[in-house]
Parts: sequence; structure tokens; C-alpha cells
Amino acid sequence: MGQTMRWPSTRIVLVLTAALFATALLYLGLAREGAGLGDILSALRGVDEGDLSPAADAVRIDRYVFLQIRLPRLVVAAFGGAALAMAGVVMQAAFRNPLASPDLVGTAAGAAFGGALAIVFSLAGIAVIAVPLCSLAGATLVTALVFVLAGAHQRFSTSSLLLAGIALNTLVGALTAFAVTFTFDNYTASSRVLFWLMGGLESRTWDHAWITMGGFLLFAAGIVPRARELDLLTLRDDSAHSLGIDAAKVRRVLLWFACGLTATTVANTGGIAFVGLVVPHLARLVVGPTHRALLPTAALLGALLLVVSDLLCRLAPADANLRLGVVTALLGAPYFLFLLARHRRGEAL
Amino acid sequence: MNALAAKNLSLQRGKRIVLDGVDLTMRPGELVLLAGRNGAGKSTLMRLLLGAERPAKGTVTLHDRPLAEWPALARARELAFVPQEAESHFEFTGRELVTMGRHPHRARSMSLQPDDFAAVERALSAVDALPFADRAVTTLSSGEQRRIAVARALATEAQLLLLDEPTSNLDLEHALQLVVLLKKLAAAGRGVLIASHDLNLLARHCDRVVLLHEGRVFADASPEQAFSVANMATVFGVQSLAPSSYFPRDFSL
Repeated sequence: MGQTMRWPSTRIVLVLTAALFATALLYLGLAREGAGLGDILSALRGVDEGDLSPAADAVRIDRYVFLQIRLPRLVVAAFGGAALAMAGVVMQAAFRNPLASPDLVGTAAGAAFGGALAIVFSLAGIAVIAVPLCSLAGATLVTALVFVLAGAHQRFSTSSLLLAGIALNTLVGALTAFAVTFTFDNYTASSRVLFWLMGGLESRTWDHAWITMGGFLLFAAGIVPRARELDLLTLRDDSAHSLGIDAAKVRRVLLWFACGLTATTVANTGGIAFVGLVVPHLARLVVGPTHRALLPTAALLGALLLVVSDLLCRLAPADANLRLGVVTALLGAPYFLFLLARHRRGEAL
Repeated sequence: MNALAAKNLSLQRGKRIVLDGVDLTMRPGELVLLAGRNGAGKSTLMRLLLGAERPAKGTVTLHDRPLAEWPALARARELAFVPQEAESHFEFTGRELVTMGRHPHRARSMSLQPDDFAAVERALSAVDALPFADRAVTTLSSGEQRRIAVARALATEAQLLLLDEPTSNLDLEHALQLVVLLKKLAAAGRGVLIASHDLNLLARHCDRVVLLHEGRVFADASPEQAFSVANMATVFGVQSLAPSSYFPRDFSL
């Protein structure tokens, strides 16, 4: 059997960064109607305050569309995608299981539950940070429970992880649904929660963008310097210990960072399926499992995937009402069938 | 001077006593075989010697300092380990896995340096793993995976090596190569402790045998004394037959 091919990670990161910038430009400039690619430069340049001509008003409107509507939505998509992908990478290493992800482990459901409670009990009106904080609490609680339930002797077998994840996902999903129906008389809150649970980036403002970006930068800064420790976590705990890390402690810390990445994203995007599961696999196919290369590659691929998916949502006919979670699921499911085919040929997941 | 010393180690899991008052020492330049039946407590003792698990009673000291007081990276530079089972569900190449053995030599955020990669090459070469070093470990035979695991321990350049069943799944040539290599490492001043069921091969090469039986040290002596007919009957429940011309036979590379 031949050698395993690895693409040079620096080159991959450069190519993906360039692709992300190009896609971001298309994202800003393409729309079903309104300002297009050709209007970006003039909108950024702006117009004199004293110019009251109809042409100047059009430029002002374009500027508002680019800077206050599309750009914050782009920032949420890019950093949210990067965060979910990086959270998936961390969870797969920490649970020593290539099928772990924020969706499967229940982290995303826990974040949604915490966020839903914040909306239902009107905490979101008190402070913009309330939803992400409640999401973080929910994500941490559910992940900790799955960790305890599935982690007999720290082995995290696929079956125990799946069973614990399904159990907690179902329970937390039911509690979230109950929270919504419990406050059905509060139509605004319950409809907001329902809309948000379906996943989507409509009406994202700079508040959402700052929190998503800040959450990513904060928690990724805790993860990236630990790339070599993530490599060691994929080994047995006694091997990791013999190489100089306290596997149990490092696992807890990194899982909490992954909860943070998931929570700050889910709080601003709602539920988005598959990104945290599929993107780490895709990145591993390109640069291999070494986390120093895998973390930036997965983050960039996750950003790219979510930006492209949301662009498709925006360009789809208005009456189709295409949701972001639907697009990511449509892209993710075939990829998993591909992984299944590989697995049947005896290759590792 | 003892490099690694365990004193009065005891451990219980539920109602079962796994280890009961075990004393064991490792000295530089010595190849020690840890033997006993399945379930005698060999792997558990390895984990306690490594510090991966705390004993209920007793102490382990590394260079006369309690193991628990050692900073993790400093301890890892002194004491390396080869586990019994294959390890990763991910498609690391052999070289990537062996490179992990250099972690104790670099602080968390530091990149690996050229001397790290040179140590990795030496380790891969020592176990004859260079031909398959760039293949995914998930595609390697179990014997090849064992050699990669041993290479990772060698890449740490630790002075003490703990190996749990290092020759399992190895063909005769590679098992012998590995034992000869471990003997050379011991002759060069390292301490080597091997837990193994491969008694015929290792008894001829080790300096000392520690026999574990029902959680206690039954014998700690030279191979000739430890593997006496009476001890083999008590510890393993087998009768020793006179050597025939067929097996056991001495082999060399």
C-alpha cells in the first residue's frame, strides 16, 4: 500500500484564505435584487453629506445594505462556520471518536436550550450577551452529562457516545419544545425561538457579529496553542500521560472551549447541522489528522462552507424560503454517504 | 542507585485486590522482565509505575523523588511507555505518531526543531520502521503498529522504558530484533522493564525477572531462579518438560 498523501498545510491555508476572501466578495456583491458587485466600491467611498441628489441617496442606501445588512451577516456566517468546524475537531480528538460533533454530543442542543430559555424569559432584552451566556451554560451542562454517561474508563466508544448523545439530544430537544409551547401566549418570544431553532442568519446585526467573532477569537485562542496536546488526546490516556499531559484535565479544558465556540455560534445562528461533523473529516482528508494543520484548515473550510451555504439561501427564490440548516444538511448528508462507502472498503472514518 | 522504585503498592478495584504490597525496582543498565498470568496485575502495575493511576497505598519514586511531584514534561523525558494495544482511530502516519514522542522536549507553543526530527528518524530506523513510516497506521499490520509504538517511546530519549507486551504480534525476526535493541539500550545505561508473556524469548535476554502472582511479587530474581520448575508450577500452573531438540531453541539475528 502506498504512502499517505498530505497536502502542504501552509499552501492549503493560503489557498483557502484566498478562496474565502473571493467568496466573501461575491457574498457582499451578489443578491436577488438591490446593490450588486459593481456598487461596492462607490458605496464604500460614500458621498458628501451635502449631496442630496437621487444618485447620492442610492449610494447611501447601497452603503447601508453593504455595511449594516450584508457585512454583519457575512461575519456571523464566516466566524460561525469556523467555530463549529473547530469545535468538531476538538470534540473528535477529545472523545477519541471520529463521529463526535457538537450536534451528536448534544452541545448544540444544550446551547439552543439555554438560548431558548433566555429568549422565553426575556433575558435577551436585558443584555445582548444574555443569550450567548445562557447558551454556554446549556452547552456546558449537556456536554458534561454526555461526557459522564459515555465516558466509562475514558474510552468513549462509538456506541456509548451515540446512545448518550441521542438520549440527551432527545431530552433537551423536548425541554426546548416545552419551553416554547409553555410560553405560546407570548407570540413574539415563541415565534422568535422557533425561527431561531431552525437555523438562519436573517436580520443579523453588528451585535451578533461582534459576539460571534469575539467568541471565536477568544475560544480559538485557547485551542490553537494546544494543537500538539490535541494530537496526544487521540491516544490512549496512559500513552498521553506518558508523553507529559494530564489527559483528563486537558480534555475537560478543551471540551469547554469547544462548548464556548458552539454556544457563541448557536446563540447567533440557531441550529446548523453537519458543519461540526463533516468539515473536520473533509479537512483531515486534505491535510491529515495532525492538529497544527487541521485546526486552521477546518476553520477556513467551515467558514467557506457556511458563507457559500448562506449565499445560496440568499440567492434562492424568495418564495422558496430556503433555510441555512437545510442547505448544510443537503451538503453534509451526501458527504457522509461517501464516508460510509469508504468505511465499507475498510478505510478509517 | 534505583532509578525507579515502587514500595508497598496496593490497589483494589471494587472487591478485587489487584495489587497487594508490591515492591519493585528498576536500575539503569538493567533489562527486567515482569511476568505472570493474565490478570496478575502486570498492566495495572505498569500504570502505577507510570503515574497514570494512583495506588491506594504505597509510593513510586523516580530518581528518589516521589513520582507525583515530578512536573509532567520532565517526568516524560525520563520515563517512556509502550502500551499493550493499538491506539488511534485517526489516520496518523507512523512518522506523525513517532513525532508525538518529542512532545516532552518542547513547551506547548514551541514548534519542533531539526534535532526533534533527527531523533524521530533515529527511532524509526532503530525498529526498522522507515519503509512504512509514511503510511497511515490504520493500514499497518499489528506487528508494524507495535514497532511504531516502540519507536515513539525511543523518540522521547527517556532513560527508563516501560513496555507492555512489546513483542506481541511481532514475527520472530522482528521480536528478536526488538529484544536485541532493548538489550543494547540497557547495556548503554537505560533501564528497561518489559511486561510480557513471551517467556522463552525474553528469559534468555533479561537480567532479572519479577514474577507477579495474585497481586503480589512471587519472585524477584535471576531468570534461572525465577523460572524454577516449582515457580512455574505455582505461578503458571504448568509442568516444565526437559528441553527437546525442537523447542525451545536459541535464535540469533
